[in-house]
Amino acid sequence: MPIMIVRRGLLACLLLIPLTGCADQIDLETATVPLALGMDLDEEGRFHYFTSEPIFSSKLKKTSHESSGTSTTLRQSRERQDSQILGLTLGRNFQVTIIGKRMMQHKGWFKMMDVLYRDARNTLTDRMIMFDGPVSELFALDQPDQPMMPVLLRGMVINKSSRSETANTSVQQLHRQMYETGITPYVSEITVSNKKIYMAGTALMDSKGIYVESLNTTESILLAVLQRTANPGISLTFQIPGVEKQPPFVSNSVSISPGKISTKIKTSYENGKFNFHIKVKTNVSLTEHLFPFDVFKEKKELEKKINEQMTKKLTALVHKIQKKKVDPIGLGLYARAHEYDAYMKVKDNWGEALSRGDVKIEVSVTIASVGAVR
Amino acid sequence: MNAQAQKQKPSITILQFICIISGIQIGVAVLSLPGNLVKAAGTDGWIAIIIGWIIAGVAGTVIVMVMKNGQDETILELISRTLGKWAGKLAALLMACYFVLLTFDGLNRTVLITKTWLLPNTSSFTLMVLMLIPSYAVLNNQIIAVGRYVVVIFLMSLWVPFIYLLPLKNGHLLHLLPVIKEGWGPVFIALKALIYPSLGIIAAFFLYPYLKNKKQAVAGMWVSNSITMGLYLFITVICLLFYSPDEFIQYNEPVISMLSSIEFRFVERIEVLFIAFYIFFFSMVWIPCLYLTVECTSWMLGGKKKTLHLQIICVGLAVITYLLKPTFSASDDLQERLMWIGFGFEYVLPVCLLGYLWIYGKFQPRR
Repeated sequence: MPIMIVRRGLLACLLLIPLTGCADQIDLETATVPLALGMDLDEEGRFHYFTSEPIFSSKLKKTSHESSGTSTTLRQSRERQDSQILGLTLGRNFQVTIIGKRMMQHKGWFKMMDVLYRDARNTLTDRMIMFDGPVSELFALDQPDQPMMPVLLRGMVINKSSRSETANTSVQQLHRQMYETGITPYVSEITVSNKKIYMAGTALMDSKGIYVESLNTTESILLAVLQRTANPGISLTFQIPGVEKQPPFVSNSVSISPGKISTKIKTSYENGKFNFHIKVKTNVSLTEHLFPFDVFKEKKELEKKINEQMTKKLTALVHKIQKKKVDPIGLGLYARAHEYDAYMKVKDNWGEALSRGDVKIEVSVTIASVGAVR
Repeated sequence: MNAQAQKQKPSITILQFICIISGIQIGVAVLSLPGNLVKAAGTDGWIAIIIGWIIAGVAGTVIVMVMKNGQDETILELISRTLGKWAGKLAALLMACYFVLLTFDGLNRTVLITKTWLLPNTSSFTLMVLMLIPSYAVLNNQIIAVGRYVVVIFLMSLWVPFIYLLPLKNGHLLHLLPVIKEGWGPVFIALKALIYPSLGIIAAFFLYPYLKNKKQAVAGMWVSNSITMGLYLFITVICLLFYSPDEFIQYNEPVISMLSSIEFRFVERIEVLFIAFYIFFFSMVWIPCLYLTVECTSWMLGGKKKTLHLQIICVGLAVITYLLKPTFSASDDLQERLMWIGFGFEYVLPVCLLGYLWIYGKFQPRR
């Protein structure tokens, strides 16, 4: 008999277990789920936040609601956000986090994001984007012919980055890039012109997170080649010098689509200088060449010309990076792995050390196919 | 008569033996291990696991060798037979304290993690009570129930390590290089971080008499240690590949934080599902430990009324949680202390006992 009572008691307790979730309950009707988070400074240096949340209603024409305001911190801004909307704001579903260029030019902006990392309920997979302009302009855009801004931006970043045309930096990865001394942060960059959103490429920051330089989409592809993250499917176009042009057409162009790219980086340290020897090797298929050329007979020559052009472009990119004393390639990781003692001495000033170093680039392209026509 | 008694006595299989020991070892310790290793030895921390594996394996073998001196008796009976009745009682009391601390530590961590990641508005006390109810249900039966429960959880969790291969997409092998960057010193210092996660081999003291085939005990010890250390190595290396060496120390629980970066197309916030599942996994510490506590206290007081002992301990744990209000820093403190207490119980004590029993055997030849 007592066993029966104990069993019934246990069953009753088991049934009570789901009730404890009630303390943490959220009704779907009262939840507001912002999909985009924006942060910026205004002219006077005040911190502004922006959110964009979808509205599920058939009566309204507009599908999203934007709220904004000033506050001292991001978490504090939640009260302000809640005062503008119907429900309670949750940070559980951000798709993109957008930082204004002005804010990124101020040291210490990264600290403002602390709540995203500390409060475990916030997402870390949202993509980081820098907006070239005041973020308020982006959130005020409401183009009926474009999808919802957060969805559009996330799609842009994920899909463009699969072709390496921009960075694919999530909030989680930004954390890594900020704290790792051997790499400097880089995020996607977008602009708005004529009320349309454009993917501009990649924004580079120095080791403290301050914005220093932008790369366009072509440079972003080349950066991915050096970072060894370039996937097959990217496309590169070169102008071959010495070939006659027929203006207005730039008919000395040749486009290639590399397959798997093998990038080997050799590191050495001599006379107080880091030397990197980067070997890029790949099989490409010609996707376009606008000048008459017998690819079968003069294949070697064309390969040589492409090698020259690509080396030139990669070297220019590296020089640009060195000049700004940043290292989005992550050469510091190689330096630490192979020249540990020397690296540890310059660890906290790696961008500076890299700018004094030598980077040699060697490209070897093999044309594997020439396409369907001769 | 004797054969019949043998039959009625509960017994556990070698698989249950392995799973119970590995379960106590892995449990909540796996969460903080990578962080502690990295703090001590940077990216070379993983090498310490290989050394720790050998040490823990030897310690386990010593425990089995001690137990071979007895005939079907637990360590407590063995101690009271060779060292005297009161020594046995004292050993039972000390071990009961040790196991109750391990239990409390396991439960406490689970409550804290559940609170941080899943239910921040629910009180610790409520969570603690909720964890204790199913534990009580399992433990109110014999050792067989504990063994079966742990095996089931083990088999249910086999797929979990594979999920950790997903974040490797963003891993960098370069983080591990150069190997032995600061010499061997830090690696040996990092061994300290491995003491706490290897605690649990002591369970063999109590499980050995129940083991069906005693010849497998040494092999079982090595298998369970290899499972534990293999998992530690796997998780630590993955954490090192994923997090940059400079960034690593920023995280309190890298093993859980890593999950937040996993993305699937069909489900978001995957870590929430995982942490809920991990509670099962964490229970592999406190359920066997709670069993061992009851085993010690009830033996000390005559071996009867195990249920009453269990009820008192469960209520006690709940009350302590209510009064103490768990915090992470207190929990870290407890783990630090447990590390040294456990070192005494699981590494030093068996060696001393083995030495004593050897001398004892010399001077008092068995009849």
